Amino acid sequence: MKNQKYQLESDRSLLLFEFVSLGPKGRIVKIVQYTETNLKNVYNLGFGDKNEKTGEISDLVITNNGDSRQVLATVASTVYAFTSKYPDAWIYAKGSNNARTRLYRIGITNNLLEIKKDFEVFGLKDSQWHNFRKGIDYEAFLIKRKKQ
Amino acid sequence: MTVKELNKSKTPIVKINKTLDKLATKVLFPEKLEDANRNLKTTGLPKTKSSNHR
Repeated sequence: MKNQKYQLESDRSLLLFEFVSLGPKGRIVKIVQYTETNLKNVYNLGFGDKNEKTGEISDLVITNNGDSRQVLATVASTVYAFTSKYPDAWIYAKGSNNARTRLYRIGITNNLLEIKKDFEVFGLKDSQWHNFRKGIDYEAFLIKRKKQ
Repeated sequence: MTVKELNKSKTPIVKINKTLDKLATKVLFPEKLEDANRNLKTTGLPKTKSSNHR
């Protein structure tokens, strides 16, 4: 992605990433977690805000910190970091609501040429996976790094 | 790797923070994981170009 990105921190396994969004609403800690699903080598991408006072993590909070492109670019950069350690992993991604899933779709669409150099991208529609194409409303996404 | 190469790299520079290790052992988005498992159970995985060559 061409946008600016925030500095990432991670645990030692590169399964959990943290960064800080800075904007009009102040400092908001963001968490990205890759969790293995019931299918071996398929990881769910979870993404949400961490309340620094309570430690509570939620993917339902609406932040409106004016930096959604930079946040999305940073989340996308975790995909590169994660798949550099787990090159055979599949990543399953779906927003916590339709609007957020749409935001993921826009993010993929706007950077599709660049993403397709390194990843195979699929969209879920009518209970089937399809090669990602622009202009189609998908319910979820699957991404796999291409073999170098 | 030079600074120029580092800046052009798509893989970000990630600072390891050991205090995140404990948090990483917890499932932080259980509902999303459940939803993923439910969908993947139905759909399975698509065929990739590389899997077609196996």
